[in-house]
Amino acid sequence: MDVNSIRDAFDRVVKKQKLSYSKTQEAIDQFSQEISDSIEKIRSAHNSDSHSDYKTLLADLKTKIKEMAPLTLLEGSQKELNVALSKYPKLLEKSFNPDISKAYRNVDLDTATINYVIASHFYRQGLFDVGDCFVTEAMEPESIASIRSPYVEMYQILEAMKSRNLEPALKWATSNCSKLKANGSDLEVKLHRMQFVEILQRGNRDEALKYARSHLAPFASDHLVEIQKLMGCLLWAGRLEQSPYPDLLSAANWDKLAEELTRQSCSILGQSFESPLGVTIAAGIQALPPLLKFMNVMWGKKQEWQSMKQLPVPVELDDAFQFHSIFVCPVSKEQATDDNPPMLMPCGHVLCKQSIVKMSKNLSKSFKCPYCPTDIDSNLCKPLCF
Amino acid sequence: MDIDPLPNGTPAAAVAAAAAAAATNAPSSKLSQLTESLKLEHQFMRVPFEHYKKSIRANHRVVEKEVSAVVSAISDTADTTDVSGEDDAVDRLNSLVSRLQGLKRKLEEGSRTEHLQAQRSRARLDHLESADPENLSEWSNTRLKRILVDYMLRMSYYDTAAKLAESTNIQDLVDIDVFLEAKKVIDALQNKEVGPALAWCTENKSRLKKSKSILEFQLRLQEFVELVRADNSMRAIAYARKYLAPWGSTHMKELQHVMATLAFRSTTECATYKVLFELKQWDFLVDQFRQEFCRLYGMTFEPLLNIYLQAGLSALKTPFCTEDGCTKEDPLSQESFRKLAMPLPFSKQHHSKLVCYITKELMDTENPPLVLPNGYVYSTKALEEMAKKNNGKITCPRTNYGCDYSELVKAYIS
Repeated sequence: MDVNSIRDAFDRVVKKQKLSYSKTQEAIDQFSQEISDSIEKIRSAHNSDSHSDYKTLLADLKTKIKEMAPLTLLEGSQKELNVALSKYPKLLEKSFNPDISKAYRNVDLDTATINYVIASHFYRQGLFDVGDCFVTEAMEPESIASIRSPYVEMYQILEAMKSRNLEPALKWATSNCSKLKANGSDLEVKLHRMQFVEILQRGNRDEALKYARSHLAPFASDHLVEIQKLMGCLLWAGRLEQSPYPDLLSAANWDKLAEELTRQSCSILGQSFESPLGVTIAAGIQALPPLLKFMNVMWGKKQEWQSMKQLPVPVELDDAFQFHSIFVCPVSKEQATDDNPPMLMPCGHVLCKQSIVKMSKNLSKSFKCPYCPTDIDSNLCKPLCF
Repeated sequence: MDIDPLPNGTPAAAVAAAAAAAATNAPSSKLSQLTESLKLEHQFMRVPFEHYKKSIRANHRVVEKEVSAVVSAISDTADTTDVSGEDDAVDRLNSLVSRLQGLKRKLEEGSRTEHLQAQRSRARLDHLESADPENLSEWSNTRLKRILVDYMLRMSYYDTAAKLAESTNIQDLVDIDVFLEAKKVIDALQNKEVGPALAWCTENKSRLKKSKSILEFQLRLQEFVELVRADNSMRAIAYARKYLAPWGSTHMKELQHVMATLAFRSTTECATYKVLFELKQWDFLVDQFRQEFCRLYGMTFEPLLNIYLQAGLSALKTPFCTEDGCTKEDPLSQESFRKLAMPLPFSKQHHSKLVCYITKELMDTENPPLVLPNGYVYSTKALEEMAKKNNGKITCPRTNYGCDYSELVKAYIS
């Protein structure tokens, strides 16, 4: 797609529009000038008692206007503009995919469910105003209330962190400490560490020490090395930037901490870190081009498309969208299923069971691995579980 | 001291890692992917242009009409005998001059609107051009918001649409004003008034004719039915003569059908005619109008959100999404998304893509899959880590099967 040629075409439209505008104005001016002239003539004829009376002058004006043909003038100016106006959308249709709904399956997506998903998305993203407005406009507020309140708390904590206030975050981490531990997260100690650094940087060594005793010491068993380093920091109270640990002060640490808090908070809420709506739409944007390409070729089979159980073309999404192990047999090109599991051959290569059955003539004899010279005894193949 | 990486086992770490892996893909493929995705933005470019075009045409029509009115007024003045003298002639001509002055003012005003609309089209071009692999995540965020605003507008959630657009400053990138024009018509139809809809049809007459739209006919039919419902037979007949008869040559059957309501009246139990009196006919008209409206502006009939959602759900839908171990990061682990995906096809892949159960990272040549004696497969990274922590002992997290790291074998996936 060439944005520049689109821009050029659009500039042409605007140019023609301006031209047409000034020509139209000119035509109107000319027209009204003719009438004004006639008015003058009638007046002066009246005053000078000349012979030509106003009736002849009016008739003259009529003929003149007929000759001038202001409507034809207008048309002329419009013609070029019309050409540009009809060319541009054609260029758009050529440069873009003019109908992205071609691969749309005509099924009713349940509006209430979509609305629920959207409202959750707004709350997940911290857009509470928009979310509330949407809920009032589109759905029953009760159905969504339970989604809203936990995120309110999360964003309050995050807001406080933005103004370098760790209290709400620490309070939250303490009350959720067992869940955090179950997730394998050491967010709590990271928060305490940050708090310690904050206190220390204010130059308050005694207070920092006190804080370390009461809040860092309990984590000694798992984080001994870190705590030793932090204690080393005590020597540089108020001037940590000169210490061997200046990276402790990096603003990026706050961002990382906020991100991890979000992650853990979502996880504890039973939600994903990324907005599922955002993930799905992003996947859709990647999936749509190949689907549309297919539909353009297979337009005749539109009916089949409506009932297919599997997409007719492979859609490769970015690795970020890969949530499950998909094994595709390199021989049959089929996706493995419970009935047709991937099998590890003694040489280490993997095929689906049905392919092995076929190649071994129904498990009756050995066969050569398609990828290496090994002779395979089908009895030595074993199913894999990814 | 660095902020240490998250310990393995959290799905979150996996997603980040996967994203990082994706970022290392060849930049050229990223770029072509971006180009492909930009090609989906036809509506984004088309709608403001159609709006612009419409203003230009409407303004031009006003000029034509006024000028031709003045031209014929001059002929009239010249031809008629009741101009009572010079003064009268001058008065008449003067009024024409001021009429043309008024037209000029109107023209200027119109040109200002046109200018604003041209700028909107330009803003969209700029936005399209601003997309590059560097700022992709920000650009995609805006795109998601644009898609959401489009959904709100199509579903008549105007307040949310305005609020969302305003809160993220994307007013120039969404078509709120275009949809407000539709809102007037839809609101009226919901109040059982056809006036604004008919006015809209007149406004867009030539284009509707080109696309062989029968919206106007459908509106007329409905108005006729309403007259019958009110037992106003004489007016109904007069109405039919004036507004329905012209459609007779092409739509005789519908015309006859609806004329018969005169005999059956609104209380009829006859199913063929009863349905014409049902209130849902108005909803049908709203739908019809929406379709014509979308067609006129070069929009898809379905909200963009639904289109992308469907494609995305299909691409993500695998038989494994409904299994117990499904990661929360998979949208299809959620009930609502599963419900939406139910009638949609499963995805299809031509190449194996294996995700380590433990780290959720992709297993490839860098991080090859290792097979435990019980047939379960995990990534080398995960198992090395486990072995390091437990003196070379491996425990299968799904079956609790125990073995030694030395018993693992490599699997080659092609």
